[in-house]
Amino acid sequence: MLVSIILGSAVATAFLGIQREISGKMALELRRYGANILLEPVAGDGTYMAVQELAKIKTVFWKHNIVGFAPYLFGVVEFAADGKREKGVLAGTWFERSLEVEGEDSTVQGVKVIAPWWSVAGGWPAAEDEAVIGTALARRLALTAGGTVRVMYHGREMPLRIVGVVTTGGYEEEQLFAPLMTAQRFLGQPGAVSRVLVSALTVPMDDFGRKDPAAMTKDEYEKWYCTAYVTSVAKNLEEAVTGSRAKPVWQIAGAEGALLGKLNGVMLLLTVLALTAAAIGVGTSLLASMAERQKDIALMKTLGADRLQVTAIFMGETLFVALIGGFCGYLLGDRLAELISRSVFASSLETPLWLLPIALAVSLLVAALGGILPLRRAFLVEPVKVLKG
Amino acid sequence: MHRWRWLMHIVLKSLAYRQGRSLLLLGVLAMAASLVTSLGIVSSAMGLRVAEEVRKYGANLVVLPAAARIEVGSGGLDFGTITEPAYLPQDALLRVVGNEGVTEYSLHLRGHLKAGALEMPAEGVDFAVIRRLYPWWQLQGGWPGADEAVIGIDLAARLKLKAGDRIRAAGTAGAREFRVAGVVSTGGEEDKLLFIPLARMQEALGVGSSVSQARLLAQTGGVTLEQRAARLQGLLPGSVVREVRQVARTSEGLLKKVQLLMALVTAVVLIAAASSVASTMSMTVLERGKEIGLLKAMGATRLGVLLLFCGEAVVLGLTGGGVGYLLGSGIARFVMKTVFMVSAGIDLRFAGLSCAVSLCLALLGSAGPMMSVFRLDPVRSLRGE
Repeated sequence: MLVSIILGSAVATAFLGIQREISGKMALELRRYGANILLEPVAGDGTYMAVQELAKIKTVFWKHNIVGFAPYLFGVVEFAADGKREKGVLAGTWFERSLEVEGEDSTVQGVKVIAPWWSVAGGWPAAEDEAVIGTALARRLALTAGGTVRVMYHGREMPLRIVGVVTTGGYEEEQLFAPLMTAQRFLGQPGAVSRVLVSALTVPMDDFGRKDPAAMTKDEYEKWYCTAYVTSVAKNLEEAVTGSRAKPVWQIAGAEGALLGKLNGVMLLLTVLALTAAAIGVGTSLLASMAERQKDIALMKTLGADRLQVTAIFMGETLFVALIGGFCGYLLGDRLAELISRSVFASSLETPLWLLPIALAVSLLVAALGGILPLRRAFLVEPVKVLKG
Repeated sequence: MHRWRWLMHIVLKSLAYRQGRSLLLLGVLAMAASLVTSLGIVSSAMGLRVAEEVRKYGANLVVLPAAARIEVGSGGLDFGTITEPAYLPQDALLRVVGNEGVTEYSLHLRGHLKAGALEMPAEGVDFAVIRRLYPWWQLQGGWPGADEAVIGIDLAARLKLKAGDRIRAAGTAGAREFRVAGVVSTGGEEDKLLFIPLARMQEALGVGSSVSQARLLAQTGGVTLEQRAARLQGLLPGSVVREVRQVARTSEGLLKKVQLLMALVTAVVLIAAASSVASTMSMTVLERGKEIGLLKAMGATRLGVLLLFCGEAVVLGLTGGGVGYLLGSGIARFVMKTVFMVSAGIDLRFAGLSCAVSLCLALLGSAGPMMSVFRLDPVRSLRGE
């Protein structure tokens, strides 16, 4: 009986524990599809945003929803290596840069954070004169990791050491990625950024989210602004970063909302299913074990115990077992949730402490329900008959 | 034969006599079996459903002419063309793609058109395909018909155009006037492009039936995308097949995680359910020490008693399994319907699984404790000691 209460309570705890965290974990998982908001200079092509504005991204209203961002500065330059010359794009970016903002925790930002699908043969640039090159460009220039490429722009020339070759299947394969500072200095645009890709946790768009903010009443606008729709987060960023215009990247944002909604739906239904099953399992096993004890009850009755006393003894016993079972179940369920989270998402998970009283209350309730039924039956039986067998 | 009929008779009578108990056991077994069925059906369908959802992220393979580069300006930036244009023959491409069983693809022909003195990047596409495969296009206005165009929101701002306006676009081989049916915004490169029907673009550039890019949504049944890409590459000389890692790799990773999650969840629930079923079963057998004692006193062999009890377990197990299958597939159907808006197909394999699990639980739950009951002295158990 104890075992089945422990298991029931463990399943309940584990499920309630992961159910709450799993939507967050899944949302983070879906962020691996890449940035969902694009920041551009508001004045259009050929203008720039200032790099020092970017620190503001981590201070906006939705700062905790920003998973990461990466700034880019682009310039069309000429590459030369081993006598081969190619026109191409030099992109300056942050690969993995720790960002210190006053009053905020230090965070790591850059391409490695927002674009985990980049596969880099070789290493990532660490020094200022190191770069990674797109495979398509590398093939044409016959370059491999370890080689050196000369970059030419308006009569200036700069050698860059190639430390890695990047494959993505996208436009990145045609570019050379150097540290942002290096590119800014070389292109003569100190402090300039041509676009920022932001990866933000958002909630799925619903009918309200799709309404045009310009046509909303004041209250509606406030509600919209305080819901993490991709559009409202974009608006928030746009207001924070001077001279910028924020656009949701709908290919990512649209699919993400739909997928997240469905995964959460499945998990919710599964939780309900598992909880019901656990309750039924515990209830029936109690039912069976209580029925065994009809003889005890009959004996007590003949000895002169009234119903209240018998109920007190048996329910007390049951509830005591349920309490222990609920507690052990909570501990076991906590481990189970952790195990699941660790093996699926490779990250640990905090089971909230408020689940403990809930686990205890649920196991007490189920135990009480499972105990009352056979107890009532036992009261209806003639003690003499039972004792005679 | 006679003996079996009697056995059946005794088993059924005994189950009917202990009505309450039998129903309880049946209920518990049915619950476990329905859990097996519903979780099994949902997790096996989850892979497919999520794969279907993930397709909304767009194409996972791109076919390009070997001589061409991916447009440098892709991803929302436009640096103009810095390479000579290169094309793929449309017919040969479609033949190979069709033979390979890729049914979802979109063809694109990229080029530059002139509106007056202004040069703008334009793309020829099939709007019906775009509408189906690119659900993330946010279109103001309507989808275009023949001789109508869709304009990217940034380009529209530059040219001061809106839906309903007309634009005259000239290519190297001819000019034509288009009505702007809608303005598209995606947050990607589409914002800076003019979209016209593929055939019109081919006329404007004078390239016959050629395209500059095909984007495929390949199913990954059995093989990885990398292998599919390599296979297509071999069949399409003069072209490069690239795996869009942003979509492809991330989706593969996501699918694996969802499946692992479902498997773990299923395992946890099943173990918990199974143990409570087994404990309930064993308790009801232990209760019946007296019956066993009586049977033994009357001269029943161990085998006979075992047969009797196993017979009961089998009847209960099979009935529980059957009921559980019906219940479980109902639950699975409900889950799939509410979440994914599809009806789960009836899979008879799960009926077998459901019955097997229920049977196993019933037998294990009653066989274990029976061994200890056998050791009881019949006289003692009959006297009630």
